Amino acid sequence: MSNAATLEQRTPTGNKRSSGFARRLRNGGISTLWALAGIGIVVVMWELVKWLGGFIPMPFNTSDTTMPHVWTMFAAMGEPEVRGSDSTVLDAVISAAFRSLVLAFGGFIIGVSVGLLLAVIMQRFLFAERGLLPFVIASQTVPLIALAPLIVGIGNRIEIGPVQWTTTYSVMFIAAYLAFFPLSVGALRGLQAPTPTSMELMRSYAATPGQMLRKLRFPSSIPYIVPALRVSAAAAVVGTVVAEISAGVRGGIGRLLIEYARQATSQPAKVYVAVFGAIVLGLLVAALVTALDVYLTRNLPKEKNA
Amino acid sequence: MTTATTQHAVNASGVWKIFNEGQPNEVTALQDVDLTVDTGEFISLIGPSGCGKSTLLRVIADLTDATRGQMSVAGVTPHEAREKQLYGMAFQQAALFDWRTVRRNVELPLELQGWDSGKRKARALELLEMVQLADFAEHRPWELSGGMQQRVAIARSLAVDPPLLLMDEPFGALDEMTRERMQNELLRIRQDTGKSIVFVTHSIPEAVYLSDRVVVMSPRPGRITDIVDIPLGMDRDEDTREADAFYESVTAVREALRGHVGGSAQRAKIGEV
Amino acid sequence: MSEQWADRLKYLWPPVLIALVFLGGWQALVVLRNIEPFVLPAPTLIGQEFLGDIGLMWQTAYYTGTTAFLGLVFGTIAGLAMALLAQRFIVVNNLVTPLAAGLAAVPIIALTPILNNMFSITSRTPRVLVTAIIVFFPMLVNITRGLIQVQPTQLELMRSMNAQPRTVLRVLRAPNAIPFFFTGMKVAAPLAVIAALVAEYFGGPQQGLGSRIAGSAANTAYGRAWAYVVAAIITGLIFYLIVVAVERWTTPWTGRSRSA
Repeated sequence: MSNAATLEQRTPTGNKRSSGFARRLRNGGISTLWALAGIGIVVVMWELVKWLGGFIPMPFNTSDTTMPHVWTMFAAMGEPEVRGSDSTVLDAVISAAFRSLVLAFGGFIIGVSVGLLLAVIMQRFLFAERGLLPFVIASQTVPLIALAPLIVGIGNRIEIGPVQWTTTYSVMFIAAYLAFFPLSVGALRGLQAPTPTSMELMRSYAATPGQMLRKLRFPSSIPYIVPALRVSAAAAVVGTVVAEISAGVRGGIGRLLIEYARQATSQPAKVYVAVFGAIVLGLLVAALVTALDVYLTRNLPKEKNA
Repeated sequence: MTTATTQHAVNASGVWKIFNEGQPNEVTALQDVDLTVDTGEFISLIGPSGCGKSTLLRVIADLTDATRGQMSVAGVTPHEAREKQLYGMAFQQAALFDWRTVRRNVELPLELQGWDSGKRKARALELLEMVQLADFAEHRPWELSGGMQQRVAIARSLAVDPPLLLMDEPFGALDEMTRERMQNELLRIRQDTGKSIVFVTHSIPEAVYLSDRVVVMSPRPGRITDIVDIPLGMDRDEDTREADAFYESVTAVREALRGHVGGSAQRAKIGEV
Repeated sequence: MSEQWADRLKYLWPPVLIALVFLGGWQALVVLRNIEPFVLPAPTLIGQEFLGDIGLMWQTAYYTGTTAFLGLVFGTIAGLAMALLAQRFIVVNNLVTPLAAGLAAVPIIALTPILNNMFSITSRTPRVLVTAIIVFFPMLVNITRGLIQVQPTQLELMRSMNAQPRTVLRVLRAPNAIPFFFTGMKVAAPLAVIAALVAEYFGGPQQGLGSRIAGSAANTAYGRAWAYVVAAIITGLIFYLIVVAVERWTTPWTGRSRSA
């Protein structure tokens, strides 16, 4: 940001009026192009490092078995997953990623719903806020994911009525658990965001707390909930992947990562395909949240960043 | 080309400022502005939003370029004036740095000029004395009220002792009582230092109270429509605010803003600023 | 003086009460329903395991904590360097910002197996590296924001004082960025602990918290596993509180109403 550029923006009148959505789409498109450029640079650097590693000693192994060429990685997608199997590595990764996506999404929805509920309770009852918020905030600073193996362990041994708790539920629970906290904090801040003046206005209309919630607090909280949704979604994805590893859940991308990592000496490129799968999973979830973001903020004025 | 230009604090001739020239959203912020500010004069620029007063100030300060025309500041180009620090500037926001003490904020221009720390400190304290904030030298900006922060900003603008002060609605964010006190302070500083001042404001009484001449501007396109002489002399004080001559000048400026000079043959429609 | 304490108490007693109710309820549940420790251990059992072997707890936490610390330092330095480039060259900023935003949603920890192969799986390096990568992005985003988001009036002021870009960086942008640095740290430090811990799930040396939790769980020594979890929670808290303390000490002006 050059100083001159910032100064010259002081036009007295005359803001460009283009459709908000079209502008967002264009900005998103430009960002995507830059992101692709960034990825391209990473690919080039990868091959460059491999090439240099051929004659300069590097602190890490640059051989083809540990650092396959980028094209080898792509080739591996087409190879059969297991000797003699019909499905390719790519098939396996896609179905595993899809399965994880379902679990992550399920966990995300549950976590968000519970988080919102808790935020409403904390906003309404001061005791709830004072008593619970410190724990909610503290839980964002501690590695709750450490509980993942234990939750799976408990889950394997309990029955809720006729329903047998499977490891799938454990994974979803962990994802929900991690998604819940950032959303609670963000939602609470949002529900408390309306200005004193707006609240006085509602009070002058004899609005009930329920009406205040629906007509004032919830709409005001959208700008706070949206960034929290992103964090929650990311947390749900990470939680799902890690939980799958701890739980030994077959069919998820986490398990696939471990499996292919074990096969790295014989088939080095497979694990990279699995990593791509995990990355695409994360990006997909981010894209879904962005779509939700655009929808939720469609009527709000667009902010400009300094 | 007269040698008299070296005696003018500011000399603008045929200055235009056009934003987005040639494009559909082109805006003429300044049209053919001619203005001369004598050394030691206090000039106010007043007018409604979009009349170009802030833009003109920024052209003088070399914070933006004129599209066309000539401008000299203290006898040199605006760019040179900025490089040689021939002016000090104060804005509507005090723009103090939260991480520095009041004194270190005032020292900032001196630091950038390479003064050594002992001399900087002495000069900063001297300036804070001048705005009667010497006791707050080691305080932090947020501990001061809005008016006090602006006084610090003014002290900072005087740091390198420039012959010219440029001020962009510095009292705009203050309440009326504080505002009047600050105006008195500014007059006192001016009397003590004899500096030339170009002052942008929205307030008619403020412009009249402070200035030797009031430059009236109007928008679309931004231009000078009138210059009103203020015959209130050099010695002004609280009583001046209640003198007949003050009210006459205020009326003169108000009518100039409405679009006619001198008498009141027609009344402009309400809303047509 | 006692008024201050009465005020603090008002904020203190609800969470303490809730904590006691929670722990008490947990204990009661285990005792009354006779729940086996391999399903859910009682808080008292966890406390016993934790305090009983506190030396081991500390050692284990220290191992993971060191990994987290190293990753935090390297990631922060890298983030700082990139942020300085990004604020100076808009191309860098444009390249890096969408990548950072995109990667925020991605389980970067999935890179651990790859790094385990590239570097020796028996060393700490892959874990430190993946932690550093995870820390890099929030630090980069926050520091860049701090360097770029200065008040326009302050920029005009600097220009009116004929300041060069390098001076503006030193005198205005860098100090302005310090509170943003700490905002990033408050996210990055706990993240580093989490990353260091989870990275241990992918194999390698087994002395850390993550390995021990998973190991104890696999051996059905659940009381011990929970004790390690307590150690992990304390480690995360310590990291966070140190950042908060350093922030309070170096930036007394944050949190106040900013000056005009």
